[in-house]
Amino acid sequence: MNFNIDPLLSALPEGRVFALDKQTLITIVIQLLNACILAGILGFILYKPVREFMKNRTGRISGQFNDAQNKLTEAEALKAEYEKKLAEIELERIKILEAARVSAAEKTRDILAEARAEAEMFKKRAAESIAYEKERLQKETRLHIIEISSLMAAKFVEKEIGTEDHDRLFNEAMAQLEEASWLS
Amino acid sequence: MLNLGIDNLWVVNLFGTEIWITRTMLNTWIIMLVLIVLAVIVRIKLRSFREIPTGFQNAVESVIEIFENFVDNTLGEKLRYLGPWFFTVFAFILFSNLSGVFGLRPPTADWGTTFAFALATFILIQIVGIRYRKMDYLKNFFYPNPIFFPLNLIGELARPISLSFRLFGNVLAGMIMMTLIYSLTPKLVQIGLPVFLHAYFDLFSGALQTYIFCMLSLMFVKGASE
Repeated sequence: MNFNIDPLLSALPEGRVFALDKQTLITIVIQLLNACILAGILGFILYKPVREFMKNRTGRISGQFNDAQNKLTEAEALKAEYEKKLAEIELERIKILEAARVSAAEKTRDILAEARAEAEMFKKRAAESIAYEKERLQKETRLHIIEISSLMAAKFVEKEIGTEDHDRLFNEAMAQLEEASWLS
Repeated sequence: MLNLGIDNLWVVNLFGTEIWITRTMLNTWIIMLVLIVLAVIVRIKLRSFREIPTGFQNAVESVIEIFENFVDNTLGEKLRYLGPWFFTVFAFILFSNLSGVFGLRPPTADWGTTFAFALATFILIQIVGIRYRKMDYLKNFFYPNPIFFPLNLIGELARPISLSFRLFGNVLAGMIMMTLIYSLTPKLVQIGLPVFLHAYFDLFSGALQTYIFCMLSLMFVKGASE
C-alpha cells in the first residue's frame, strides 16, 4: 500500500475558500463517507435505541392503559351484576317483609279472633254464671221471702186465724209456689 | 494576516493520489467525535432511563421525539426509516454551524462539505423516486413533453447545487464577517460586540440554515416519493 504523510508545513498547498478541482472532489467523497459513518454510528447507538425505548414504553403504557380499561370494564360489569343482585335482594327482602307482614296480620287476626272467641266464651260463661246466680238468688230470695212471709204469716195467723184456716192457706200457698216454680 | 481560506494540514499519498487533509476534515472529525461521545453518553444513560422521564432523559427524549415528529409530519410513515439519516444531517450541520462560537472554522463553510450532504440528498431523491414511483418517476423528466427533458434534468441537478451553495454561502458569509470583525477592528471593539454577532451569525443563522437545509431535503425526498 502506497501511503505516506508529508511532514507538516513542508510544501503544503495554500489554502483556498472555494475551488472546483480534484481536491474538492476528494473532499466531497471524504465528507460523504464521514456523513455515512456518522449516520451509522448515531443511528445505531443513539437514535434507534432511544426511539426503541420510547416505543417500548409507549407500548407498555398503552398495554397498561388497555389492561386498566379492561379491568374497568370488568369492574363495571361486576358492579352492574352486584347492583342487580342487590336489587334482587332488596326485592326479596321486600317480599319477605310483605309475607311476614301478611303472616303477622293473619296471626293478629287469628289471635284477635281467638281472643274474641275466648272473650265471647268468657262473656257467655259469665252471663250463664250471672243467670245461674240470678236464678239461685231468686230462688234463695223467694225461699227467704217465703220463709219470712211464712214467719210473718205464722205470727199473723197465730194471732188471727185458727188451725183450719192456717192449713188451708198453707196448702194454697204451697200450691201457688209449686205452680210458680214449675212455670219458671 | 487575514486568512479566510481552508488550511491544508497534511498531504497524504494514497495509491499515488495526493489527498489534502484540510482543516475542514479535521474540524469534521472533531465534531463527529463530539457527537459520538454525546451519543455514547446517552447510550450509557439509556440503561438507567425510567418510565417517567426527568432531567437529562427528558432532554434526550424531547430531541428525538421532536425530530421524529418533524420527519413523520414531513416525510410520512412510509419514509420514517430515513429518520436516523436526517437526524445525523441535522445534528452535524447544526454542530458545524455552531462550532464557529468555539473558534473552529465551520466545516459547512467549505463547499465540499455542504455539497457532500446535498449530494447525499440528491442520491436519496433518486433512490426514493425510483423505489416508490418506478417508471412514473423517470417519466417525470420528460414531462410535459420530451423536449423539456434537458430543462427537467437541469432542474433536478440544480437541487443539490442550490442546496449546497445556500448553506455554504450563508455560513461562509457569517464566518467572513466574524473574521473581519476580529481582524480589522480595534481590540476595544472586540470586547462585547462579537457576542451579538456570534449570536446572530453562528446561533441564529446557523440554526436557521440547518433547518432550511433539512426541511428542503425532506421536501425534495417526499416530493420524489409521491
